[in-house]
Amino acid sequence: MANVERYEAPESLPELTQILAEGPATMFAGGTDVVPQMRVGARPVRPTLININRLADLRGISESNGVVRIGGLTSVADILDCAFLKQVASVVVQAADCFASGQVRNAATLGGNICNASPAGDMIIPLLVLDAEVELASWRNACVARRRMPLCDFFTGPGKTCIEDAEVLAAVQFPVPKPHTVGRFRKFGTRPALDIAVVSVGLAGVKENGCFKDARVAFGAVAPTPIRGRNTEAALVHVELDGDRISDIAQVAEQEVSPISDVRASAWYRTHLIRELMERMLHEVHQTRD
Amino acid sequence: MTALIEKETLIGKRVPKLDAPKKVTGAAQYIHDIELPGMLVGKIRRSERVHARIVRIDTTEAKALPGVHAVLTAADTPGVGLGHGKDNPPLKGDKVRCERDEIAAVAAETEDIAEQALKLIRVEYEDLPAVFSPAEALEDGAPIIHEQHPKNIPFTYDYHHGDVAQGEAESDVVIEDNYRLHFVTHCCMGVSGAIAQFDSEGNLTVHSQTQVPFLYKKEIAPVIAVPPEKIRVIQPVIGGAFGSKLDIYPFEPICIFLARATRRPVRVLFTREEEFLASPTRQPVELVLRSGVKSDGTLTFRNCRTLHDNGGYTSWGATTPFVIMQTISSLYRVPHCQYHTTVVYTNNPYSGSFRGFGNLQATFAVESHMDKLAEAVGMDPLAFRMHNAQQPEETTPQGMVFHTCGLSECLSITTEKSGFLAKHDANRETQAAPTRTGSAVKRGIGMASLLHVGGGAKIYRSDGCGTILKVDDHAHVTVITGSTEIGQGSETVIAQLVGEELGLPVSAITVINSDTEITPWDVGVHASRTTFIAGNSARGAARKARDKLLIAAGEKLKVDPETLDLRKGLVVRSDSGESLLELGKLIRSLHFARKAEVVMTSDYYEPPSVMQDSEFKGDVSASYAFGTQVVELEVDTGTGVIRILKVTSAHDVGKVINALSIEGQIEGGVVMGMGYAIAEHLIVKDGRMKNPSFRDYKLVTAPEIPVVDMHFIETNDPEGPVGAKGVGEAPAICTAAAIVNALYNATGVRFCELPLTPEIVLRGLKQCGGHCP
Repeated sequence: MANVERYEAPESLPELTQILAEGPATMFAGGTDVVPQMRVGARPVRPTLININRLADLRGISESNGVVRIGGLTSVADILDCAFLKQVASVVVQAADCFASGQVRNAATLGGNICNASPAGDMIIPLLVLDAEVELASWRNACVARRRMPLCDFFTGPGKTCIEDAEVLAAVQFPVPKPHTVGRFRKFGTRPALDIAVVSVGLAGVKENGCFKDARVAFGAVAPTPIRGRNTEAALVHVELDGDRISDIAQVAEQEVSPISDVRASAWYRTHLIRELMERMLHEVHQTRD
Repeated sequence: MTALIEKETLIGKRVPKLDAPKKVTGAAQYIHDIELPGMLVGKIRRSERVHARIVRIDTTEAKALPGVHAVLTAADTPGVGLGHGKDNPPLKGDKVRCERDEIAAVAAETEDIAEQALKLIRVEYEDLPAVFSPAEALEDGAPIIHEQHPKNIPFTYDYHHGDVAQGEAESDVVIEDNYRLHFVTHCCMGVSGAIAQFDSEGNLTVHSQTQVPFLYKKEIAPVIAVPPEKIRVIQPVIGGAFGSKLDIYPFEPICIFLARATRRPVRVLFTREEEFLASPTRQPVELVLRSGVKSDGTLTFRNCRTLHDNGGYTSWGATTPFVIMQTISSLYRVPHCQYHTTVVYTNNPYSGSFRGFGNLQATFAVESHMDKLAEAVGMDPLAFRMHNAQQPEETTPQGMVFHTCGLSECLSITTEKSGFLAKHDANRETQAAPTRTGSAVKRGIGMASLLHVGGGAKIYRSDGCGTILKVDDHAHVTVITGSTEIGQGSETVIAQLVGEELGLPVSAITVINSDTEITPWDVGVHASRTTFIAGNSARGAARKARDKLLIAAGEKLKVDPETLDLRKGLVVRSDSGESLLELGKLIRSLHFARKAEVVMTSDYYEPPSVMQDSEFKGDVSASYAFGTQVVELEVDTGTGVIRILKVTSAHDVGKVINALSIEGQIEGGVVMGMGYAIAEHLIVKDGRMKNPSFRDYKLVTAPEIPVVDMHFIETNDPEGPVGAKGVGEAPAICTAAAIVNALYNATGVRFCELPLTPEIVLRGLKQCGGHCP
C-alpha cells in the first residue's frame, strides 16, 4: 500500500461525496475485503484512501412508511442483533448468522459486502428475495444526489457493480414484508464457521393455506453474480406443496443454475447442492405452520 | 517441635505448562518479535515455472533501487545441496524443478523496498517438459528432473520377513486394494523465519526455529561454508513445528548469505502464502496393500508396494518408508511380509517430516484392511484385532521388542467405553435403508489402532541427549537440556521429573533449552523421543545431584544418608518425615566450606536401542507406543458432510507424567488426524498449489471438534522415565483410519482415498447406487 498519497476520514456524506468527486479513491469501512485484496494486489491501490467509518448517518436500521432502511455502514453484527429485523425480515438475520466469524461480523458492513459483489456474498441473497433496492449517493450540483436501483440489477460480474467511482452505497431498503411472509436462507459451506459459501439459497414469499401467493428465490455462488431464480419462483407460486411437487420444484432450481468448477467445488456438486438445499428448505417450510 | 513433611509426588499431576503465561500474555518472543540493531529485511524471489532452464537472471535494476543492500543469485553462493538428498541448492542457478524454487534473494531497508526489488529482477526461462505424478515420471522417456538420477528414482526401499508366497498359500481369504493419500501441510500458527548475524570474527549466530539445533549446525556448515564450531544457534519461542523444522530449507542459508553479503543482521520471514508454498508437506503416497487371513481369523501375510511422490527435491518425506514398513510389518502379528517403496522425483512440491512420519498413511491402509478381513471371515472388528494383537515381551519379525505392550487393553477399553459392538451392529442394519431428504443422516462407528516408536528411534549412531544441572544457594535448580521446546511441553515434563527427584516444586526449576553455546548435545525433537530421552537424561542429572546433596547432608547431620530424603525444599528423615535442614542452607554450607563445592551435575542418556541392519531389522526404539481410537460419526448422505461426534481413545503411554499436557497432546492429535481425514487438502494441479491460504485450505474449526474421551493405559515401561513412553505423534496416527472405517459402517461404502471432503464422499455414495436419494 505504498502508493497511497492521501488519507481522508470524512464525518458526513457531503464531505465524503465531495472527496469522491475529486478523483479515484479507495473506500474502506470494516476493511475485511478491501485490506486483504489490496495486500495481495487483487485490488488496485488508488492514490486516495478514505476511511468512511466516521459517517454516523450511514449506520443503523430504521422503518418508516412501510419501508425498512439499513444504512450502508451497519455492521453484520448489528444486523444479527436487531430484534426488529428478526421480527419482520428474519431471512436477513439468518444470513448474518452464517457470516464469517464473530470478529469479522463486528467489522464487516452491509454496504461493503454488497459492493464487494462476490457471487457468494452472504448478505446479498436475503436482500434479493426481499426485493431490496440500493441507494447510491454522489456529489452533484453542489449537493448530495441520490439514485436508487433494484439490487437485482446492481451486479454486473464477479466483483463488478453499477456503482460509479464517485458514488457510495448509502443504504439498502426494502418494503416491510407482508404478513405471512416466510423467509429462509441456507448456506452450504464445508465447515460451520469461517467459510465462503459453496452455494447458498434464499427464499421469501407470502404463504397462506400451505401455498405461496408470491415467492422470490435467489442463489449464491452459481453464476458470475448472485442471481434470482425466476423459473423456480414461477414453479413455486400457487402450488400446493407435497413431496412430489417439492421434488419437481427442486429440479427446476437445479436446471436454472449453471455454476463453474473451482477450488471449492465442482459444477456437478454445486448443481446437486442447489437441488438438495432447495428440497430441504421447501420440506421444512411445508412442515411449518403458516 | 519440628514439622513432619509428607512425601508428595509431581508425577501424574495436572501441571500447567511453564511457558503458558508468557504465551497467553503475548510476552513470548517469537522470531517476529526479535529486533536487532541495523537489521535488514530479506525476501526471496521464487520461480513462476515448475520445470524450466534458467537462461538469464538480470539483477541490475533491483540492485540500483535505493534501500537495497544486496541482491544474490546462485552465482554468489557455493551451490552446495541441502536436505536429506543434498540435491537442493539454496538458490537455483541452472534450472528450477518446482513452483517454490528460490532463484534470487534481496536484503533491503524495508519490506516494501525488498518487495519492489524482487519485482525488478528479470528472469528469462526456457520451459522444460514437466511431470506431475510418479507413474508419469517412471515412464520411458519421461523428463529427467535431476541429471544424476536419469530414471527419476533417488531411493528405493525393500524389506521382507518370512515368505509371502507361503503366506498367501496358507490364506483362506486374500484381498488387495489401492490407497491414495494426499498432500497436506503443517499450518504452524507461527510462520517460518530466521535471523542471521555475523560478528567481526566471522562467527555466525542464527536465530532459527529448528527442532534439531545440533544436527542443524553440522548440516548447514558445508552449505554456507562456515565451520560448525563458528555457528551458534539460538531458538526463539517456536510457534509450532510438528516436524516441519526437522530439515533445513533454502530460506535459512539464504538468510545467512544475505547477512554475510551485507555485514548486517538479516531477517527472512515468510508471509502466510509463502508458508503454504514453501513449507514441506506430508508425504503423498500411492499404496497397494495385499493381505491374507485364515478362516480362523489369523493374519497370514502383508505385501505392500508404495510409490512416493518425492517432488522436485529430497527432504525427509523420502525416508517415511522407515516408519511405513514398521506398521506394515508389525501392527498386529504378521507372519510373512514383503514391502517395497519407489521414491520418484516429480515437479510437484516436496515433502518433509510431519507428525507420524508416514504412519498415518500406512495405518490408513492397514486398518482399512483389518476391517475388511474381519468381515470376510465373519468376525467382529474387535475380536479379529484381539486375536492378532501382540502381547508384552513379544519380538516382531522386524526385530522390535515389545517389553511392554498395552494394545489389547487399548482395544478393550475403547470398545467397552464407546459401546462399540452394539452400535456397530445396529448401524450395519441401517446401512441399506433407503434415505429420504430431510432424514438423510446415517451413523457410523469405526476403530483403528496404531504402533509407533515410544522410546526414541536410533537412526543416527547416537539417539542420546545431554543435561547439565545446577542447584544454586537458594535451592533453585537450573536444568540445561539439549532438547528443544516446540510447544509439546518438554520444559514442563523435564521440570517435573527433576522436581520429583529433588523434592522441589516446578516453580523452583528453570529449564534452559534454546542456545547451542550453552546446552549439551541432543539429536533433536523427532520420533516422539523428548520425554523419554531428554526426560531420562534430566532425571539422571537430578539423581546425581540428589545423591550429592544427601551425602553432604548426612555428613553435616552425622546420620546415614540412606535414612534421608528431600521433600519440599528440606532435608527430612525419610521414615518419619521429620524436617532436619533447609536445602538452601545445606548448599550454602557447601559453598562456604573449606573444601568448597558447587552442586552441579551432568548426564548423557543413550537408550539401549540399536540401529537397523541392512535389512531394516533391529530393535530401533527403547520402547513402543500403542493406541486405539473409536470414532463415532454422522454422515449426511444428501450432501456428503461428515460430522465427527465422539472419539474414544486409549493410549499406552507407559505412565502419565503430566495429565494436563498429555490430554492436550491427544486432543491436538485427534484434531490433526481428523483434519487429515475430512478437511485438509493442499490442492496441487500441474505442480501448482491452488489453495495457499487459510481461506481455501480448510483446517478444522472449533465447532467441528468432537468430544474426546481419553483413557490412559499405564504399562510402566521399565526403561522409560518413571515408566513413561513417548506419545507426541501417536494420537494423530489412527484417527483417519478409524473415520474411514466408521464411514463404511454408516454407508456400506469403502473409501480408499483421502480427504473425505463432502463432495468426495457424495461422489462415492452416488456410485454405490441404491443408498442415496
